[in-house]
Amino acid sequence: MPEKPRLLKIIDIIAVVLLVAASVLVFFYAPTEKVMGLVQKIFYFHVASNWVGMLSFVAAAATGIGYLRTNDLRWDVASLAAVELGMVFMVIGIITGSIWARPIWNTWWTWDPRLTTTTIMLLVYAAYLMLRQGIDEPEKRARFGAVYVIVGALSVPLTFFSIRYFRTIHPVLIGDSDPGATGAFDMVPMMLQTFMFSLLTYSVIFISLYWHRIRLGNLAAKVEQLKLRLG
Amino acid sequence: MDAPADTLNYMIAGYTVIFGGMGLYIVSLVVRLRRLKQEQVDLESLDES
Repeated sequence: MPEKPRLLKIIDIIAVVLLVAASVLVFFYAPTEKVMGLVQKIFYFHVASNWVGMLSFVAAAATGIGYLRTNDLRWDVASLAAVELGMVFMVIGIITGSIWARPIWNTWWTWDPRLTTTTIMLLVYAAYLMLRQGIDEPEKRARFGAVYVIVGALSVPLTFFSIRYFRTIHPVLIGDSDPGATGAFDMVPMMLQTFMFSLLTYSVIFISLYWHRIRLGNLAAKVEQLKLRLG
Repeated sequence: MDAPADTLNYMIAGYTVIFGGMGLYIVSLVVRLRRLKQEQVDLESLDES
């Protein structure tokens, strides 16, 4: 396997530094929300996790298109990497949302449109990972995977806009919340700065982890080729 | 004026999931990478012999 690229090493260092800085902002700079108290601080990394999750699923669709246009299996490796990363961050987003909801909504879970569409999105991509396992031939698996992630990406805007077009208790961050939303708050400038910084931090983390996961996928493909050659 | 709700434990739980989840994923990447590298070395030596 080729040595870790210098640019990736630099991105890794930047990601760690940004994560430390974002944590300092969350815990020591952003003020405590007056009604919800400290649990509101989950919001900064909860939204950022969901942002990375959705970004990953969009990246999976883009790389799926790349495969269908070129039939190059490296695009399939990138698609799989994106879906895995998206799953990790969406699961973190769902669990942290549930922890936030317990004291604010007085329940761990409710079938609100946002939570429902997020669950559907997660199940769509969980099924992708399982169905891939059942296809042995790499080209067939890649073609199936490419079409699947492109169609599956429809769940991303559905989830994103669910709190804007349906009646929901989930707060809307940018724009007006539904009158029935519980847990909405006005972001003061220090909160907004912390939030934007968290999004930037997670975007860099996404680049770093995505690159690492693609390298891992390429190595796995190489090992698979070796196994096939040796029979 | 009312004090904010005492939700410290929920915040700790949330950040445990956030940092724990990311940490576990990074560990899984490292473990899988090491395993694949070892497998690659073994297969290449088998290929040469």
